[in-house]
Amino acid sequence: MRENTESSVHFAVTIIGKDRPGIVAGAAEVLFQFGCNIEDSSCTILGGEFAMILIVSHEKPFSKAKLLEDFRSFGEKMSLSVFVRTLSSDEVHYHAPVGELCMVSVYGSDRPGIVLRVTKELAERNININDLNTKLVGTSEQPVYVMMLEAVLPDGVEIEEVEKMLEKLKKELNVEISVRSVTPVSL
Amino acid sequence: MSAQKIIVYPHPVLKKVCRQVGVQNEEIQGLIQDLIDTMRAGPGSVGVAASQIGVTLRVCVVDVSGSKLGKDANHGLLIMVNPEITKREGASTMREGCMSVPDYTGDVERATHITVRFTDESDTMREVETSGFEAVAIQHEMDHLDGVLFLDRIVSLKTGLFRRKKFK
Repeated sequence: MRENTESSVHFAVTIIGKDRPGIVAGAAEVLFQFGCNIEDSSCTILGGEFAMILIVSHEKPFSKAKLLEDFRSFGEKMSLSVFVRTLSSDEVHYHAPVGELCMVSVYGSDRPGIVLRVTKELAERNININDLNTKLVGTSEQPVYVMMLEAVLPDGVEIEEVEKMLEKLKKELNVEISVRSVTPVSL
Repeated sequence: MSAQKIIVYPHPVLKKVCRQVGVQNEEIQGLIQDLIDTMRAGPGSVGVAASQIGVTLRVCVVDVSGSKLGKDANHGLLIMVNPEITKREGASTMREGCMSVPDYTGDVERATHITVRFTDESDTMREVETSGFEAVAIQHEMDHLDGVLFLDRIVSLKTGLFRRKKFK
């Protein structure tokens, strides 16, 4: 994210609604016409819904009410929910934790509590999740749950430790779990 | 000769296709030294291509011997003039970052095993067979000679900020 300057304001926009072509283009048009810059964003299909999360900046003065007003006709036409939240200066200046990156795959027959048990173990050791997605696949008779997450290991926590601590969950949840390093290589 | 400043995108030189080196003269020797010095100066750097220091000639250097991923299997310092990959096998994905594209990383698929032919610093033709991290680094640096950045090769949307802390 670009550094927040005194002259600009940052805000988070989330948009969600039934998937169809034109949602991103429509949202981008509203933001562009309003004079906003899209900085970081992530958009994806979840179930049949298309979900957009964007960090957007705008020169001061900025009116949230006016932006929501501009989103109204587009949102109604495409049946979307639109939310806008202004970010405080410490949110804008937040630096995500650094360290070794690891990818954790968890999959197995669907059952309640998979996300909870795995993420609780990580949170208890102060391991920050960067990215997480889950998907229900398989058949209705045999639903399979797949969760992929990427986490940053704090200093002093090794990948083998993460493997070991998740090992016991394999039995408890009857799932497969694998952990591997995805720390980028600098070239 | 000395370490040069790494040019960062959007400088247009990074998208230029570099020219073949004709005869190896003092100018090329100087360029080679600059590339080595620049690589040694960059924290955790395992390779530099000429276009990254603004010279559009087909020269790059690679040395993965000091890195965690490459220390067990490498050919030491490779000085490559007019490199050419003559054989590629397999495919594997690694998350790459580049000094010329700071703060961004992405998963890139490269050949696992390659044979690369080049002229070294004493104008001798060499052929090196390699795999793993060294093969990835060579392919990454050679892409620079064709004006190709890892951004052109990202295969998955899983990207993130560059974790600058651990290089080795």
